[in-house]
Amino acid sequence: MPAITVITREGEERAVDAGAGLSLMEAIRDAGIDELLALCGGCCSCATCHVKVDPAFLPLLPAMSEDESDLLDSSEHRDATSRLSCQISMGEELAGLRVTIAPED
Amino acid sequence: MASKIAIQDFDDITYNPFDSDEINFGATLDPYPQIAEWRATAPVIEGDYRSKMGLTSALYPDRKVFTVVGTKEILETLTDMDRFSNEGYKFNIGRTFGEGSISTMDNPEHGRWRKIFQKIFLPQNVKPWGEEIVDPIVKGLMDKFIPRGEADLIEEFTILYPFAIIYKQLDLPVDDIRTFQRLAIGQTDYVNADKAIEAGRKQGVYFSQLVEERRKHPGDDLVSLLANTEVDGDYLPDLVLISFLRQLMNAAGDTTYRGTSILLTALLDNPDQFDAIRADRSLIPQAIEEALRWDGPVLVQLRMAKVDTMLGGVAIPAGSLLDVVAGAANRDPAIFADPDRFDIFRERKPHFSFSRGPHICVGQHLARVEMTRALHAVLDNLPNLRFDPDKPRPEIRGSMMRVPRHLHVRFGD
Repeated sequence: MPAITVITREGEERAVDAGAGLSLMEAIRDAGIDELLALCGGCCSCATCHVKVDPAFLPLLPAMSEDESDLLDSSEHRDATSRLSCQISMGEELAGLRVTIAPED
Repeated sequence: MASKIAIQDFDDITYNPFDSDEINFGATLDPYPQIAEWRATAPVIEGDYRSKMGLTSALYPDRKVFTVVGTKEILETLTDMDRFSNEGYKFNIGRTFGEGSISTMDNPEHGRWRKIFQKIFLPQNVKPWGEEIVDPIVKGLMDKFIPRGEADLIEEFTILYPFAIIYKQLDLPVDDIRTFQRLAIGQTDYVNADKAIEAGRKQGVYFSQLVEERRKHPGDDLVSLLANTEVDGDYLPDLVLISFLRQLMNAAGDTTYRGTSILLTALLDNPDQFDAIRADRSLIPQAIEEALRWDGPVLVQLRMAKVDTMLGGVAIPAGSLLDVVAGAANRDPAIFADPDRFDIFRERKPHFSFSRGPHICVGQHLARVEMTRALHAVLDNLPNLRFDPDKPRPEIRGSMMRVPRHLHVRFGD
C-alpha cells in the first residue's frame, strides 16, 4: 500500500496508507479527513475533491480529461498543480505522493 | 419563427394542474419532529415515506419499500452504486419525463449523457446568466408591485421568476407559455397518473417539433444548443434530449421557486439575520446555503436495491424501493447543532438539499445564481421589508416538497 502525505487546509500533515485500487479521493476520505467533501461520491460530477499535487509527482499522474479540466475551471483556486482526487487511482508508483487539499470555493 | 409549431392542452380543459400540489407533495406544516422520532428509533424503517406522511402512493410498483432517515445510511444509499440503483424512477418520472431521463439511469449510461448537461451548467457558464437573464426578469416582475408598497412575494414573484427564466432560455413562443406551464406542472401530478402521462406525451410532441425547428434555424437558446450538440458525431438521442427538456421545468423551475420562497420566509422570520445581510451582502452565500439546509425544497429521493443487502441493520431484498429522506440529514443533530434553528452564522458544513452521489443536482450552480440575484433585488428594491401585519404569516408546508403558499409583505415607509 503506497504511503502518502496529505496536508489539510490548516497545514497539518497526515500520513495516509492508500489501499491499492482506491482513488486518491477514497484514500483521503477513508483516512477520516472530512474536509475533502467529494459530494458526488467520486464520478467527476462536482469539484469538491480538489487537491494540489506536489509538482514532482505530476508527470506520474494519469492525463486529465476535458471533463475534469472543465470542473476545475469552476474553482477560483485552480493552478497548474490542481487535480480532482477522484480521478487519480492509487498505485505503487505514487508512493511518497504529497497532496494539499485545495481551499474551499 | 418561420413555421408554427403546435402545443396541445389537456383533453379535459377544466383540469387544473395547479391544484395538484397538496395531494402529491403534502401539506404537513412540520414533518421534522416525525422524522426525528424515526431517526431516534432506527436509521432504516420498513414502509414507504408517502403513506407514513398520509399521502397516497402513486406510480410505485408493488414491492417492499423502506424509508431511510439515518445520515450514514442516506449517504450509503446515494453513493454506493454497486448496491443501489436509480431504476426505481423508471416507474414514475420515467413514465412522465420519459425513459431518457438521466435520473432513471445508472452509470456508465447516466454519466455519458450527464456530462453534456453538466458542462452547460458549470458555475463559470451559468454565472453570466445572472446579469443577462435573471436580473431583467426579476426587475420586470418587481416593477409591477413596487409602487403598491405591499405584495404577495410568492404569487407575484417567486412562483414566476424561475419559470420565466426557463421560457427565456428555451426562447418559447409567448403564445405557447400558458399551455406549456399547465403541461409542465401536470407532469408531476402522479396521483392523477393519467393526467401526468398525458402531459408528458403532449410535452414530448411539442418539444420534438421545437427541436426539429431549432435544428433548421438555430438560435442562441438552450433548445438550439442541446438540439445541435453532437456526441460521437451524432446528435444527442431524442429520447434523452426530450426527457431532459421535460424535466427542466420541474428540476429548474419548481425547486428554485420553493427554495427562494423558503429563503425569504426564513429571513423575514429572523429580522436580526436579515439586518446583518443588509449591512453586509457578503453574507448572502451562507444565507442561501443555510436556507437550503434548514428547509430544503426536496426532502426525498428514490433508490432501488440492486442486490440483497443490509442497510442500517435491516435486511433489504433485491428490488426493494428506498425512500431516501436526504432532508432528514439536514436536521441531524449529530452534524448540525440545534438543527431546527435557522442560523446563517452556524459552522458551515455541506447540506444534502442537492442530494449526493452521481445524481447530485446538475443545476445547483444555476439555482444559487438565481437565488443570489433574487435576494440582491429584494435588498435593492424593497427597503424596510417586513411581514404584512394585517395578513396571515407564511406557513411552509409539504412532506415531499416544501413551500409557503403566500408571503404577504410590506415595504417602504
